[in-house]
Amino acid sequence: MTTMTCKKEDTTNCFVFEGKMALPNQYFVGRLGSKFIIALRDKKKIMGLKCPKCKKTFVPPREYCHFCQTKIDENWVELGNEGVLVNYAVVRYLGKHLPKKVPYILGQIKLKGADTPLTHIVEGVDIKDVRIGMKLKAVFAPKTTNTLLDLDHFEPV
Amino acid sequence: MAEFYGTTVADIFNTMPKRFKPEEAKDEDIAIGYECKGEGKWKVTIKHGTIKVEEVKGDLKGCATTIHAADAETFIGTTLGKIQAMDALTTGKLRVVGDVKLLMTLLPKIFVQYTAPEKKSSVVAKDIISTITERFRPDKAAGVDMKVGYDLAGEGGGKWTIVIKDGKCAVKEGLAKDLTVKMTMPAEIYVGMMLGTISGESAFTSGQVKLDGDMMAAGATSRFFNKFVDPNAKASEAEELITIKVTNSINCRFATGTAYGMWFKGLKEKKFLANVCPKCGRTQITPREICAFCRVRCNEFVELGPRGTITAADVVYFASPDPLTGAVRETPYAMCWILLDNASPQEAFCFDIKREDLPKMKVGARVRPVWAKETKGTFTDLLYFELDK
Amino acid sequence: MKKQSAKPAKAHKKNRNVGIVGIGMTSLSSHKEDQNQPEMIHEAVRAALADAKMTLDDIDCIVHGNMELFEMQYQPDMWHVLGSGAYGKDEYRITTGGTVGATLVCAADNLVASGLYDTVLAIGFEKLQEGNTTGGITNMADPLWFRNIQTGALTGTTAAMMIDEFGAERAKKAAMKYRILMDKHAMLNERAHRRFGLEYDQAEDLMKTSPQLVGELRLIHMCSQSDGACAMIFTHEKKAKKVSKTPVWIRDHITVHREENMSNLYAFEKPEMTHHYAARKLFERNGIKDPVKYFDVFEMYDPSAWWGLDWSREFLQLKGDEHLRMLEDGEFDLDGKLPLNPSGGVIASNPIGATAMLRPAFAALQIRGDAGGCQIKKPVRHALASGFGGTLWTVLMMLEKDLDW
Repeated sequence: MTTMTCKKEDTTNCFVFEGKMALPNQYFVGRLGSKFIIALRDKKKIMGLKCPKCKKTFVPPREYCHFCQTKIDENWVELGNEGVLVNYAVVRYLGKHLPKKVPYILGQIKLKGADTPLTHIVEGVDIKDVRIGMKLKAVFAPKTTNTLLDLDHFEPV
Repeated sequence: MAEFYGTTVADIFNTMPKRFKPEEAKDEDIAIGYECKGEGKWKVTIKHGTIKVEEVKGDLKGCATTIHAADAETFIGTTLGKIQAMDALTTGKLRVVGDVKLLMTLLPKIFVQYTAPEKKSSVVAKDIISTITERFRPDKAAGVDMKVGYDLAGEGGGKWTIVIKDGKCAVKEGLAKDLTVKMTMPAEIYVGMMLGTISGESAFTSGQVKLDGDMMAAGATSRFFNKFVDPNAKASEAEELITIKVTNSINCRFATGTAYGMWFKGLKEKKFLANVCPKCGRTQITPREICAFCRVRCNEFVELGPRGTITAADVVYFASPDPLTGAVRETPYAMCWILLDNASPQEAFCFDIKREDLPKMKVGARVRPVWAKETKGTFTDLLYFELDK
Repeated sequence: MKKQSAKPAKAHKKNRNVGIVGIGMTSLSSHKEDQNQPEMIHEAVRAALADAKMTLDDIDCIVHGNMELFEMQYQPDMWHVLGSGAYGKDEYRITTGGTVGATLVCAADNLVASGLYDTVLAIGFEKLQEGNTTGGITNMADPLWFRNIQTGALTGTTAAMMIDEFGAERAKKAAMKYRILMDKHAMLNERAHRRFGLEYDQAEDLMKTSPQLVGELRLIHMCSQSDGACAMIFTHEKKAKKVSKTPVWIRDHITVHREENMSNLYAFEKPEMTHHYAARKLFERNGIKDPVKYFDVFEMYDPSAWWGLDWSREFLQLKGDEHLRMLEDGEFDLDGKLPLNPSGGVIASNPIGATAMLRPAFAALQIRGDAGGCQIKKPVRHALASGFGGTLWTVLMMLEKDLDW
């Protein structure tokens, strides 16, 4: 039997293989998340959940109040479709999974009646003109995808 | 006929042609037999986009696959998704002779899911027509000028003309004389199509819907309206639970390093190279840099085989789909553990065996590798092992 | 069987004793479309907190885990904060394959025993219906070679080996008896997912007609695919005695891995199984001479009837056909010498990332006397619980009712 030696330092036969992972999966949005998306889709309304104790309104919806842990899943309130930009970032990184063509603005919009900002895409304003405090309104998607993107983006009022 | 979940076994077979999606079944040519104890037998023949459902007295003949349910509850429950098909299969209440995969792959693809009739019974065609103007989407109908006539026979039916012009929409009773297109069908078919319980495609091809005039216009109308939401189905609306389906596709690169690199170099030369632990003498295949038992580096490589002996064999009857390609391998196939000549007795090598050799394969049998015509130093160089006669 | 040579592992040195004071789980079912992941986890967390009569303020640290990529989601611990309650607390994510639930328990035990944290909440979960189990398993394999031939978690080799050793008739009968025993246990456990109501006289029929998956591994033998979550709360001796009337003590645990290669399990000469090695070492260092006599319950991670039956021999250090005889003589029944999986085991319920945690959870409920319909009638003082993962690796732990070892 012939033997051959290959030491750690010898990289003659080191290769790199191309690989791929394609991972089909589904995500159950849940009862609350579904209600939220269905309201966006069918009624063009943004809904939040309000804690009767803390008087705080959360969007997107959550089952329990973040502050006092009260179950709030039945306490739906309708929020306005307009709000104020409280923070933003410009997405410039090119990734195939991104929902829009880069560069685009990812903003945090505090809607009328909500205590938490909703993170979403801001369009209709030049990147150099976007300012914290500007008033924005929701624009709904013409075609439903049954996702948060049924609210397509926000744009200046 | 026993009724479960508001449905009888006959309901399911009677609605089959209506729920059939010919386009999805255009490449299929199969006969499926159904037996439901206490209810009867049915034969469903699907051929190039056509379907024939017949009740059978006596034996089920000429069916590639037959599905047997122990009782009506099992059959109806699994059809409606109220009972997990997998659970029914596990306990033997549902039995498939032939290709079990049909249940999970073909059937969901070519049929609209059966829904119990009670859901749609509350809505009639008139209700749906009356919501047309509020569901109208002017942004989609810019520049459109057409008159669509509906002649819906039966209960809750009637005759209507929908006028679309200048981004406006109006509904008029009766049929106008200058219709762009007229659609004639039973009112219940219209309701079923609008609620999504009947395949529109199937209704058209089966002749239940008649078109007079511009066919293209008929196809385009749905674009101008938001989807009809059943107001009487409040409960079912609350029940709607959204599932987001995604396929994440990620490209990867994997480096072999030196030890594994030698393995691929060997494949290119149609050789099995294993490295040997200097302490315990174990031959590692595929090669690993370190012997995990002795914790020493293994730099020496030897050639094993190429012939070997089967030490264990798995015959796979139920293949899981490959998550990377979605393809399902043809079954049965065999995965064998092979002790290559000169390998140390603990170190078997796992690979496929030639399909034709499956019936003769057994533990202790001698095998030899079959290589690809052109070897490149990749996984595909080794095709399979075959019996060494 | 060639024994693996390694230095004997020492018993864990604990700074202080650790007790399980809270156990919570969601229902275990095939579909949970009405809850998203954080909501499902929170249900288990709330149940565990209620069981321990605690609030999130009492928790100092959270360990969180599931099967990596089984839902095809990266870093779920981050967006699960709403459900786990980890906001403002230390949280660690652990993912060790099928054993993860058990590893979470080991980690929580170590974190409390060391004195680094007083009270630790462990959460294991899975939503198998959201992902692609085969995809997850295939992607665990070595990408250069084994990923290409890996076909998921099904194997018939154990069945073939048992048929070879004990003859087809006895082996097949035993596997079916094991399967039906697990279903009978599941029928008693209101928390179990799959409860079929099988009877022993169905064995003959099922072992012939149940669809073949791989070799003699048939659909009826195989474990469930479930969605669900389990949460457990661990605290040190002083606090455990204060907050709970029935704390369950973690005596010792061992984790054993082997090299990542399935091939060398099935050559002519077989290595010592990690299960055997783990049990041998654990019993050795705790002075357990006769595990069947010592333990009052064994909650084993049994992915299929064949594996469960074969592994009972390894874990309990039995020889020859002793394990088959125990099964045939009813010694694994609820009123037998060593009740095996009164919960119905993994065959009945299998939300994988929670599965290995459900083993000590169900065992602890037995010790507390809170197991409901599947409660063992005799007093349960000593429990054994195992986890299994990957290409055969093992976590094995001992739970005790009293601090008297």
